[in-house]
Amino acid sequence: MTAGNSGRKPMILILATEACAYPGADNTGQIHAEYSTNAYVVRVPAPVQFNEEFYLRCFDKGIDGILVMTCGHECPYAGAYDRTAQRIGRVHELMKERGLDTRRLRICAICTVCSKAYLKEVKAMVELVSQEQAAAVGGS
Amino acid sequence: MEKQNIKTDVLIIGGGIAGLQAALDLGDQGFSVLIVEKEASIGGRMINLSKVFPTLDCSSCICTPKMAAAAHHDKISIMTLAQPTNVEHQGAGFAVTVREQPRYLNAEDCTGCRLCEYACPVDLVHEVEGNLGARKAIYVPFNNAIPQVALLDMDNCIMCGACEKACPTHCIDYLQEPREHTIEAGAIIVATGLDLAPMDVKAEYGGGKLVNVLHGLQVERLLAPHGPYGRVLRPSDGKVPDTVAYIQCAGSRDHSIGIPYCSRVCCMYAIKQAMLLSGALPLVEVFIYYMDIRAFGKGFEEFYQNAKAMGIEFIKAKVAQITEDEHRNPVLRYEDQVTGRVEERAHDLVVLSQGVVPAWDPRAVLPVEVGGDGFIAAANENVAPCRTSITGVFAAGVATGPKDIPDSIVQAGAAAAEAAAYLRGNDKVESITTADRPAQRPVEVG
Amino acid sequence: MTEDKSQHNGEGADAENIRVGVYICHCGGNISDTVEIERVVEAAAKMPSVVVARRNMFMCSDPGQSMIEEDIRTERLNRVVVGACSPSLHELTFRGVLTRAGINPYLFENANLREQVSWVSKGDPTGATDKAIRLVGAAVAKARLLRPLEPIRLEATPRVVVIGGGLTGLRCALDLARLDLDVTLLEEQPFLGGHLAELGQVYPSDKPAREILGELIREVSAHPRICILTSAEVIEASGCVGTFLLKVRAAGEMETQCFSAERIAADLASRAHGPNGDHHNDGAGTTELEIQAGMAVLATGFDHYTPSQGEYGYEEHPGIITLPALIRELESGGLGSGPPALNGRPINSIGFIHCVGSRELDGVHDQNGKTELNHYCSRVCCTSALWAAKQLQARYPDLQIYDFHKDIRTYGHGHEDIYEDTAKSGVIFCRFADTAPPKVTVTESDPPLMISLKDELTFNEEIDVPVDLVVLVTGMVPHAIDNLVDMLKLPRSADRFLQEVHPKLRPVEMAVNGVLIAGCCQAPLDSVESAAAASAAAAKAAALLGKGYIEREPFVARVDQALCNGTSACVEECKYNQAVSLVETAGGARKAQVNAAICCGCGMCAAVCPTGAIQVDGWRLDQFDAMIDALLVNY
Repeated sequence: MTAGNSGRKPMILILATEACAYPGADNTGQIHAEYSTNAYVVRVPAPVQFNEEFYLRCFDKGIDGILVMTCGHECPYAGAYDRTAQRIGRVHELMKERGLDTRRLRICAICTVCSKAYLKEVKAMVELVSQEQAAAVGGS
Repeated sequence: MEKQNIKTDVLIIGGGIAGLQAALDLGDQGFSVLIVEKEASIGGRMINLSKVFPTLDCSSCICTPKMAAAAHHDKISIMTLAQPTNVEHQGAGFAVTVREQPRYLNAEDCTGCRLCEYACPVDLVHEVEGNLGARKAIYVPFNNAIPQVALLDMDNCIMCGACEKACPTHCIDYLQEPREHTIEAGAIIVATGLDLAPMDVKAEYGGGKLVNVLHGLQVERLLAPHGPYGRVLRPSDGKVPDTVAYIQCAGSRDHSIGIPYCSRVCCMYAIKQAMLLSGALPLVEVFIYYMDIRAFGKGFEEFYQNAKAMGIEFIKAKVAQITEDEHRNPVLRYEDQVTGRVEERAHDLVVLSQGVVPAWDPRAVLPVEVGGDGFIAAANENVAPCRTSITGVFAAGVATGPKDIPDSIVQAGAAAAEAAAYLRGNDKVESITTADRPAQRPVEVG
Repeated sequence: MTEDKSQHNGEGADAENIRVGVYICHCGGNISDTVEIERVVEAAAKMPSVVVARRNMFMCSDPGQSMIEEDIRTERLNRVVVGACSPSLHELTFRGVLTRAGINPYLFENANLREQVSWVSKGDPTGATDKAIRLVGAAVAKARLLRPLEPIRLEATPRVVVIGGGLTGLRCALDLARLDLDVTLLEEQPFLGGHLAELGQVYPSDKPAREILGELIREVSAHPRICILTSAEVIEASGCVGTFLLKVRAAGEMETQCFSAERIAADLASRAHGPNGDHHNDGAGTTELEIQAGMAVLATGFDHYTPSQGEYGYEEHPGIITLPALIRELESGGLGSGPPALNGRPINSIGFIHCVGSRELDGVHDQNGKTELNHYCSRVCCTSALWAAKQLQARYPDLQIYDFHKDIRTYGHGHEDIYEDTAKSGVIFCRFADTAPPKVTVTESDPPLMISLKDELTFNEEIDVPVDLVVLVTGMVPHAIDNLVDMLKLPRSADRFLQEVHPKLRPVEMAVNGVLIAGCCQAPLDSVESAAAASAAAAKAAALLGKGYIEREPFVARVDQALCNGTSACVEECKYNQAVSLVETAGGARKAQVNAAICCGCGMCAAVCPTGAIQVDGWRLDQFDAMIDALLVNY
């Protein structure tokens, strides 16, 4: 057993809200739609609990792309969605300072039956991180 | 026939949003509840809607949590494909005979994996998709159905055995029989909801035969992210419609079809669908032909004004007739009340804002008083809108008259309060007089 | 209220002897057709703290559940991971297994291998197997850091304070009492009954309002569980769900007697004379008392919209009155028993103008210095106006009635019949556009009032209609309750009515836990709808307070006092009033403390804590970090 992310497919972390996005990901499974196997869903009550460092730490550890899938304005917690969106904005600033492509962290709203939107987001992120990896390999 | 006796505090007839809310409010108070639902899944009409007015949040996202909460509640049991066939008084409560239709499989063993569905060679029109999509003869009713269990449509099964071979749990049982249950219930809540007014009663509007004339629930499916086509298309040729017309009061406020009342939700669902269509098809023009726009609920008028600002066209006119041109475009003939001219206009797609009728006439089974409109009549409507003419039987949601989702949910809570008070033996306080009144307890502190 | 007793510091995984059992489900072939289960089990067996890894055709089946139960006992497992279908289906099933086997149910973690692996990866079995292993690894990593949790139990006073003694408050108080809760009913006026008492016969039952209310007040005042306080006002509010403490000032004694029929009749008659009826309280026995209650229901109702001077000619001629004023005249016989007359002036024609103070539009109704527009529809006024017209027609058949509207919104049970009846018996309907409200002018001629508009029902013809009486069909505005709103920190919507948490999910609840709303304080409603809302609120209160304690899932924030620096960053960040606050500890330091009755578990506080001292139980940051680390491990 080894750690790190060398020599394998880029890895995408999906932080999906319990109320909307996680059931949305389940719904995508229920219709047996296919998407890349390197997207990993982690269930959260509200991504507002993650501080800026959490996201940066994920990138440091070897996560290539993060999709923060929220309930949008249907968020059950007061003010949490807006706060998360603000924080993602700040993380983007910090990513710029570190020379990280800000497109590798994206926030979106996914509802319980939004399979199409879910697949679109995952596909776009898979393409982005694959391109970036190819570019990095080519450049090294 | 197999017979079972079940005891429950409250029997709820109907597992739509009103029945579910009543069940949750009673279960949370500690009463045992049995929901009998005639369809294969709970969730009623709401679970198959797209988005709901006036907040435009996704209907499934609101309905699924209540379905799941009821399904997982330790005080709530659910029986699907089941309908009451007889109700008798039994002490202060009731003995209700319920007939449960077979699924032709052992529901406890089915994991909802759909391998049977993929194996089944029979393609049929899918009722849940407003007949716009397809299903198999054996199928899980829909994506977010609860229970996630398949059912076999025996009328259309060709007995090829493919499903039986595919099933990993060997749960298919072609010989299953209907089951009859006797439910001993302390109280009953009727929450049997709505059907749309039938499309074929109005010959002037094509009598349900014009292919590009749909009803509101069909458009809900077209607009749902998990709908039959995955997009908005018209049925005749799969064209993306450029113009869509809504005909208001198509099955309401109309003595000629026996539905003189206002159905209360059609204005708002038409406006909502118009807005969603505009969002889905940026080039579409939507027209709403109406008599009065009844945007009366909280946030509704503001929603209506937004729709106008978005460019939805509201035409004050009563449509007299719908015909079809050679391209199968529906053609409306109407008198514009503002200009006074009789006009004819073709649209790519026409939606009849059908009104609602009660889904169940209880009288043959449960002789509660029903109004001239067919809905259950409240015994004392201004003060106790959920009480029926039979003590111990309560009603909620559209069973008592057309209602939108918030009003149905609120009324379901009220029915739960009524049933709970009845079960606690506190239905009436008439016996209490001044003389009986005990001293106030010393509960005020400070 | 819960506080950290155990001083967890995130090192639990190493501190105790963690023994994890991993169970992978084939789900028939649903998972195993795509995912190589054998490989997942082999990999799981190598994961840290895993002492047993097994598979089963159906983990959710009785044999599957028994396998886990037995392993917990024989292998002394203290964490369980099941890789199977979505947690929405069987998380509770497996928690139940843990309980049955005698360990804490929250020591369970799920890996979603069906909906999020096999069903979405048919074309890539190798990738699917790798993904399944990583997800199981993440679940094991989280499981190692899971801690036993207990549902939160809060003390709850089985008493509800109902604020407002109109139809809604009365109905709610009675239902609460019928559900065996104690009730204190507060009414700011000296008498009960609210605005309904101003009406005569009411639709759709056609019963006299005073009969309906009289019956209800008799029942309420007779009920041994209900205390009534009239002329009462809340002057202070503190506490939270389960244990609210309200300080109330009331003029007069607490009502402990069943109201006599005479008193009810007299009170209702007074109420009928308007909001400031002739029943005066001398303020002699002013009392102040504190009421402890588990919950509060706001049933504070509405006020009639009062037109400003000159709005449709209001207050510029005695023949221009509001609908409530007309109803009062009708009820007190003010139009006379012969031919109708008002203040000695014969009335041969009446014009009703709808939507006065409702459905107002920016750029149309904000003229004349009017700043606060009511964009909403007041819901009940169309039917109320036509109901009044119907009564007028019945009493004075020769009276000519005109009705000027934008839309007729007779939506409810029996309303359309009222509309049709009035149309059949000769009410003339005219329609004006949203943007062109009619103008009312006072003329020198007879009749003295002129209503001018473009009538959309006669193809936009400009018409002038002379009438003797103009009735402004005024809508509802929320009753002024600024004090309560401030004290209880209640949210209001843009229309200034109280805002429920969600119109469909939680329609009678406020964001402030333990505060419910019903009736017209939330939005305009008719009596039928208000009564339903009142009963629904009672059901909610009974569900929460009925057990004598309130039980909640344990997923709320917790403070590790050893790590807390008392910066108050969490307090400032939290959107829920009093959910977290700073308290003085025994050592004199100020530390954050969570009120589990109020905390919603969103974790907003966790993100801003400089030391990571505050975390949401069940969803701690160290658990997420461990999951990410595990996802990146190659087995």
